[in-house]
Amino acid sequence: MSTRNTSPTVRPEISGRAAAGGTKERSRHGAARRRGRSERFAPYVLIAPAVLIIVALRLYPLALGVNFSFTGDGDANGTAVGFANYLELLDDPLFQTALGNVGLLVLLLPVAVAIPGLLATFIFLKVPGHRFFRSVYFFPAVLSPVIVGAIFNLMLAFDGPLNEFLGVIGLGPVDWLGDPGVAKFAVVGVQIWATFGMALVVFLAGFATLDASLLDAARVDGASLRQSIWHVIIPSLSQTIQFVFVTTMIGMLTSMFGLLYVMTSGGPEGSTYLPEYYIWIQQGQMNRPALASAASTVLFLIMLVVGLLQISVLRRAGRED
Amino acid sequence: MKRTLWPGVVVLALTVAACGSATRPASTPTGSAAAAPASKLVVWDWKSGEPYAKTYIEKAKADFAKKHPNVTVEFVPQPFEQYYTLLGAAMQTKTGPDVMLFNGGGQIRDRADSLLPLDEYVAEDKSRLAGWEAFAKDGKTYGAPVTLQGHPIYYNKALYEKAGITAPATTWDEFLANCDKLKKATGAACFALGNKEGIGPQFWLSGMGSGVLTPAEYDDWIAGKRDWKSPHVKKIFEMFKETGDKKLNNEGANSTAMFTDIFSVFNTGKAAHIIGLMSDIGHWKDFGEFIGPDKVGIMLAPVVTDGATPSLPYDGGIGYAVAKWTKDPKAAADLVRSLTTTDALSSFSAEAGAIASDTTISAPQDAPVVGEIVAQLKAGKPALHVAMDSKTIDLMGRLSQKLLSGSATVDEAVEELAASDQEN
Repeated sequence: MSTRNTSPTVRPEISGRAAAGGTKERSRHGAARRRGRSERFAPYVLIAPAVLIIVALRLYPLALGVNFSFTGDGDANGTAVGFANYLELLDDPLFQTALGNVGLLVLLLPVAVAIPGLLATFIFLKVPGHRFFRSVYFFPAVLSPVIVGAIFNLMLAFDGPLNEFLGVIGLGPVDWLGDPGVAKFAVVGVQIWATFGMALVVFLAGFATLDASLLDAARVDGASLRQSIWHVIIPSLSQTIQFVFVTTMIGMLTSMFGLLYVMTSGGPEGSTYLPEYYIWIQQGQMNRPALASAASTVLFLIMLVVGLLQISVLRRAGRED
Repeated sequence: MKRTLWPGVVVLALTVAACGSATRPASTPTGSAAAAPASKLVVWDWKSGEPYAKTYIEKAKADFAKKHPNVTVEFVPQPFEQYYTLLGAAMQTKTGPDVMLFNGGGQIRDRADSLLPLDEYVAEDKSRLAGWEAFAKDGKTYGAPVTLQGHPIYYNKALYEKAGITAPATTWDEFLANCDKLKKATGAACFALGNKEGIGPQFWLSGMGSGVLTPAEYDDWIAGKRDWKSPHVKKIFEMFKETGDKKLNNEGANSTAMFTDIFSVFNTGKAAHIIGLMSDIGHWKDFGEFIGPDKVGIMLAPVVTDGATPSLPYDGGIGYAVAKWTKDPKAAADLVRSLTTTDALSSFSAEAGAIASDTTISAPQDAPVVGEIVAQLKAGKPALHVAMDSKTIDLMGRLSQKLLSGSATVDEAVEELAASDQEN
């Protein structure tokens, strides 16, 4: 269909309204209107599959889950109980511990980012054997949490090799997984060990974009290693560091279940509970699916806030470009 | 092929289950006896996949086929670790299995509202099988016992001989003195305790309880009238703490796993006593393979309170139940009965190493200690911890770790347990 007769700056619909002429003219304009309508609907048709999938498989179950969290368990199954589940959660010291541990993870985040950052710096500065270290550091990232947990269960057992070593050098045994003050940090330490390889690779990619002449200039000016890290490397890598912060945070909040399950089962004394683990226990072991839904909703809200904060951080980082 | 589909089905079930119930109250009756006879019964358990259960399942299937030739039976073995999670999800959607295996006690009682009372179907089996109480709630029976599960205090006779002890102690003071002797002569810890998951105090409460509570207190406890203010109840937890304070347990008890690690401590002679199990795992058969069948002994709880009569604590161990929504309750109940015939159970007992619920079959005779266990069954009583709800049990696990590490006192622990127990 040609639009040669109409003015190039005016759309067919408008020209059709302006020039009501013979039948030929009208039919042409009618076709244009039809085409215009189908063009108007085309975008909606095209995004419909995506929207339907999101609505049917994500938003609708989410709404049902939230709705379910306002119903009771056991005898009260299916009846509305208002905020009773949420009040029970607030009252449950175990859930408080789980939320407290989320806070602890956030506090430990700088450590989890600093370790791969520092090691990547050493590799970038070509310490002896840097090629070897690069592959060795990445290796744990390919292991599943269950395998990592099983390995460290053996390593950190009370009569395990680590305590034997401590005994040889004259330090008393530490109950790594049996002492509530230690176990939390042991599990987080293992999580960092298991996942820092990925962050290391991201850092190395960031280093690839680093302007080498800046470092050379710093070196010529007689900057010490600490000074060149602080004044050259960190400012140049700020975007990479922000990105690693965000991804590490997500990893710590969403993928520690396997480690907890294998290493501590939430213990000792419930000290290593995280919301995910709490949800699993309530739904599977305690037969409290509605309470578990309430806990899931709380976890969802926490992740929503964390996610929005992270998006705004990333956006700000992008704007600096 | 079928198996590889399960994860997908489960994920779907979980998604639907987490949401479905809000719109469907549980009270809606589903499935009635008038419905057409089911052509297929689905059974969920965590045993039928094991090689030792093969003959048992075959015998049960053959017996059932005689009664219902046109009904097929499908056994779906699930991993035990995930079993109650999967089952809970299936129950929410009311599309789960028709017949399912349960542990006696809290696990089945918590889910009784989804189960079919079996009393009218199993009346004939009542006197032949033992352990029904663990599958009953409010006077109704929801499952038929397959095995008996209990908590004898096992001891290592070889270590006793080395320490010059001729017979196990009958009082707590004497027991503590023996522990001293054993430590000095053999270096072995008094107890092998694996409390990583917090299961230790369950075994402790039941293993030691009959020596501390008076018979009346014991019976009241089982009947649900638990007097947490009683000094005797407190004493049980004081004794548990005492084992920690006096270093009677193996080191690192709070980080040693119960089922995977602790039995090897007893098996290798590093500890002289362990409160173990009667069936499935951690029992006479396992221990006998390592320290010699004739070196495994059992003792009754040492007496602490005058008038206490120590007895073997045991209940129905595992048993099959029928879902409320099954289309043909009669066939499903008959399948449960086929799974508890004398013939099938004797196979299970011999091959799996279990004390079967059937009192008319003789227990496996390859270990003398089995005779001792069976001899105690008659005077035995239900285990104390089985009478408690799973939430309080879970709390007790965490509190016991605090007792051992010293971050909670016995008074605090008992008070918290009392509050939780009375609430549920």
